[in-house]
Amino acid sequence: MSRAAAISWRFLGIALTVLVGAFAVFMVMKAAPGDPALVVLGEQAPPEAVAAFHQRYHLDAPVLEQFWLWFVAALGGDFGRSLTIAGGTSISGLIAARLPNTIFIGLYALILGVIVSLAMGTIAALRRGRVADTVATSIAVLGISMPDFWLSYVLVFAFALGVGWFPSYGFVSPGQSLSGALYSGFLPAVAISAPMAAVFARTLRAALLELAHREFVTVARSFGFAEVFIFLHFVFRNALIPYVTVIGLQVRYLLGGVVVIERIFGIAGVGSLMVDAAFGRDYPVVEACAITFLVIVLGVNFLVDLACTFLDPRRAN
Amino acid sequence: MPLWRRRLGALVRNRTALAGAVIMAVVLAGITLGAELMPYSAVDMDFANILSPPSWAHPLGTDSFGRDVLTRVLYGGRISLLISFAGVLIAAAAGTLTGMASAYHGGLTDAALMRFSDLLFAFPSFVLALFLMVVLGFGVQNVILAIALVYFPIFARLARNTTLLIKEEPFVQAARLMGQGALRILFREILPNIAAPLVVQASVGVAFGIVIEAGLSFLGLGVQPPIPSLGVIMADGREYFQRGPWVLTLTGLVISIALLGLNLLGDGLRDLTDPRLRRQAEL
Repeated sequence: MSRAAAISWRFLGIALTVLVGAFAVFMVMKAAPGDPALVVLGEQAPPEAVAAFHQRYHLDAPVLEQFWLWFVAALGGDFGRSLTIAGGTSISGLIAARLPNTIFIGLYALILGVIVSLAMGTIAALRRGRVADTVATSIAVLGISMPDFWLSYVLVFAFALGVGWFPSYGFVSPGQSLSGALYSGFLPAVAISAPMAAVFARTLRAALLELAHREFVTVARSFGFAEVFIFLHFVFRNALIPYVTVIGLQVRYLLGGVVVIERIFGIAGVGSLMVDAAFGRDYPVVEACAITFLVIVLGVNFLVDLACTFLDPRRAN
Repeated sequence: MPLWRRRLGALVRNRTALAGAVIMAVVLAGITLGAELMPYSAVDMDFANILSPPSWAHPLGTDSFGRDVLTRVLYGGRISLLISFAGVLIAAAAGTLTGMASAYHGGLTDAALMRFSDLLFAFPSFVLALFLMVVLGFGVQNVILAIALVYFPIFARLARNTTLLIKEEPFVQAARLMGQGALRILFREILPNIAAPLVVQASVGVAFGIVIEAGLSFLGLGVQPPIPSLGVIMADGREYFQRGPWVLTLTGLVISIALLGLNLLGDGLRDLTDPRLRRQAEL
């Protein structure tokens, strides 16, 4: 199969997953107790008003038809209107306004995690069994064991309330000021990235150590190549394959962390929107947020797959 | 030497596993016996001691109702650990059964299960849990279900992949040739041989389940007060974080120590059990 055909297949698979995922989200939401009409109009709403509400939002149509109407509109970028938290506002508008913040914080955390883990994992592997290795691996286990929302409060306590280097609450959108966003988003990004950096560093260390004993490394050494060249070209490059794969797997945890952290730091993102909607029983907003996250995860995994075929050309076949 | 004593010996010699086991023993003793021995109540208010910082009488301080935070954390730890354990147990039982059956049976069943777990894997785990809480409603039972659903595909996939590796082994073939039934082969021949990675996954799973419970309850979407789960205690501490930062920070510190114990135990057990099988199964 040619490369283009393989990529098209992947795309088709992603489209199918989005369809099935949207269907599952919609159907499960239908099973939720409570009538949206009563949530919006109040428990004591007269039956005529409820019937009118049902007709307006097609809630009296067969479920499959409801799904299809909703899905086709959603494909065209129309997720309907918010019921309670921002009554009547277009949900697509709400999400479009918040998505850049979520993506910014997610990317910021990812980049911090990658920088820290590349350094920690490499040092730990090169200094195996020495003090540096013990320190790095211990920090990694500690990092995995700290709930991100707790870490964010510890960071706020120390660096915002304590020494006052960073704001404890509030976020400047990257659209307004990039430097402001980098500054106000630093503590949230660190909190999200800490557990991830730990997982990345452990993966990198394990991969580097395993590859260092492979036969092709011994052969390269017998050819008299410089150690630095052997490390970069034969060991590190190959270790990047499991490393990038793990980044793909961790994206779902990263976005989960984003949901909580956005809420804590008052970042207007898709995650905090979903939490608000969950409180307000704003079902269509919850659905739209869940599907937005689904699409982000699938998109990132697609990119990770591409990166892996680039790093390991055998996979393309 | 009997098998269990040899295994115990290996556990003690593996320093990571030992450290994890010791931490978990202390945590378990604390939330069972320790909670009962505390001189304070987890729910009764004491208005003479509102928001007093950590001291000898109150090692973790008191909260805005004058309640001893350590007592509440011990009781809360019991609740949170039970919730997480119950969720992971459901996921492990259901996931292992489906995964084994799917691998053994193959064909369409297997393909359907894999697509289903792919779909669950495509949602951020916390988003999945949050979504479920909206549909099912808040409360202890539904937090357990949410944790179970988040963990089900992980166990199903691990059980499936390990079963696939082992079902072509000669001893399984021999059992089949001897005319043993599928159930007997699955439980007597296959399950004991894939149990180790599942147990390791479960110990890490309980750690992450505690984080899910704490995260949901912290946002007010999980366990509801007055039940003092760890997430509820932290959510409470968030209300007056500036006046009494110890409630939130020290409760979280206790959670981190418990998670550290579970993670070390998981790491150690992973080294002790066959690492090859696990690595292959994870791919």
